[in-house]
Amino acid sequence: MPSTQTPPIVGNAIDPPSLRPPIDDATIERVAPSELRVRLEELKRSGYAMLLDLGAVDYLVRKPRFDVVYHLLKLAPKQAGIADIGRPARLRLLCGVDENEHLPSVMDLWKSADWAEREVYDLFGIIFDGHVDLRRIQMPVDWEGHPLRKDYPMRGPARERAPRPAFANKTNVVAGAPPSGRTLQALQEQIKKARES
Amino acid sequence: MTVYARPLSPDVVTQTGNTMVLSMGPQHPSTHGVLQIVLEIDSENVVKADPEIGYLHTGIEKTAEGLFWTQAQTVIERMDYLAPSSNALCYALGVERLLGITDRIPPRAQTIRVLEMELTRIASHCVWLGTHGIDLGALSIFFYTFDLREDILDLQEANGGARMHPNYMRVGGLNGDLPDGYLHKLDELIEKFPGRMRELRGLLQANPIFQDRTIDVGVLSPEEAISWNVTGPSLRASGIAYDVRKAFPYSGYDTYDFHVPTRTEGDAYARFLVRLDEMEEAMRIVKQARQRLDTPGPVMIDDPKVALPPKETIALSMEALIHHFKLISEGFRVPPGDVYQSVESPRGELGYYIVSNGENRPYRIRTRPPSLYNLQALKGIAPGNLIADLVVMIGSLDPVFGEVDR
Repeated sequence: MPSTQTPPIVGNAIDPPSLRPPIDDATIERVAPSELRVRLEELKRSGYAMLLDLGAVDYLVRKPRFDVVYHLLKLAPKQAGIADIGRPARLRLLCGVDENEHLPSVMDLWKSADWAEREVYDLFGIIFDGHVDLRRIQMPVDWEGHPLRKDYPMRGPARERAPRPAFANKTNVVAGAPPSGRTLQALQEQIKKARES
Repeated sequence: MTVYARPLSPDVVTQTGNTMVLSMGPQHPSTHGVLQIVLEIDSENVVKADPEIGYLHTGIEKTAEGLFWTQAQTVIERMDYLAPSSNALCYALGVERLLGITDRIPPRAQTIRVLEMELTRIASHCVWLGTHGIDLGALSIFFYTFDLREDILDLQEANGGARMHPNYMRVGGLNGDLPDGYLHKLDELIEKFPGRMRELRGLLQANPIFQDRTIDVGVLSPEEAISWNVTGPSLRASGIAYDVRKAFPYSGYDTYDFHVPTRTEGDAYARFLVRLDEMEEAMRIVKQARQRLDTPGPVMIDDPKVALPPKETIALSMEALIHHFKLISEGFRVPPGDVYQSVESPRGELGYYIVSNGENRPYRIRTRPPSLYNLQALKGIAPGNLIADLVVMIGSLDPVFGEVDR
């Protein structure tokens, strides 16, 4: 596991979406995980044909800890000119999820949810029930932890000291230990110690 | 002479029944970056294509959480490296909305932003066209498109100081006004652009080989396109005229006169035509923006809490010095809240969901990467086609992997 060199960022506002200034960017709704699926189906029937994006935010000290954010766009699912589209509506659905809670997958409603849900799982560790292929997408398959969580450190462990280059082993290096005591053997012991600790 | 037959390693090729699983990429010249596609093939026909991404994952969203609001823009610009200004503008617009200063951005700054956006669109489409041609064996078009792109990069270098990542946009306006001689060079570009477009169209549009390779390849129906969340030229080639510049105008796009090119065929050739038309429409917007640039004016908001004070005032005014010091050492704070802001990038709807908790650093920046969703549609359109056509489809969806993997 990575070290904890940088402390996690914990801000002063615990729940920013509740404090937002009036910005006209989307209609905002908040649903409980149990009602999420029903509400999304309802919205899709009422014309929100596109799942623009699916992301998550980790609020760490808040209860429930995560917000999974669905951005929906109202768009006719048939061919349309610019006049027909006019000003399409955007809707943002926030769903609070706690650490061990699962969410229903919407992969069968929108095909695009496939990779979006995999990414949220990969980077936040939120599990979507019903997803047919829920595995890591950005990080390597054997990665530990979920990087976009706020308690995941920003930096990895300090890099190990690189071994001495090969030319240092040659006999043209002056014999005898230098005053610093950094002979090849001492250095290798140091590296071994660093690796074991 | 001995011929050494070397068996492929089992994780690359496995035979199961009548089909074979073959890994294409991640080091493949036609994948436009580091894309691996795990293909299930029946002789030459693709049965299933599963793109594997993440080879270029650089954790930009995580990195941005540890930087000041201004610094974060530097890494965000690196997402879509072919159209860096669109990333920067979208981010700046989002932060401006959280700060509540959207209405106070000077008009000249908005005009230059639009100009930059459209120039970057042409430059990005140039790269797409050149590489798309190379995928199909048309090597010469690459040199023509990169010649045109070079002129635009020269302009970017003139105002931002760097060719690829000018970092010219700022929260509250722009880094600085246009340099001397910029408008003259822009006029030259405007003048020679129609001739350049004729050349580009002449090289490929009526070419029978190109048409054979692209017509009826990778057809995306409007319903499929919406379900796969495809946006940008790829969606408009399927007949749906959704364009963020028209639907949710920003930076005064509603005051420009331009069309949104659409086609109804939904195949790779339609996407090609839509992008070429889009380059010409972009130039129309550039011309209109050029006319508005003759009147001088400020290019940065007059708000010392956000904008750096003019350099010459620092030695004279104590307040200016304090503001300068505060902005450099700890940045500005953004009131708590969340906002979704999107722009029409060359690839589609680029969106940022920005959350601020009142600190001087972003709490979370979620990107809506158009390339990611456009590329995902490959899973829907690839099956039933030849492997050779797969290359055309990837090219026509125009993914940029800095953005897909972030």
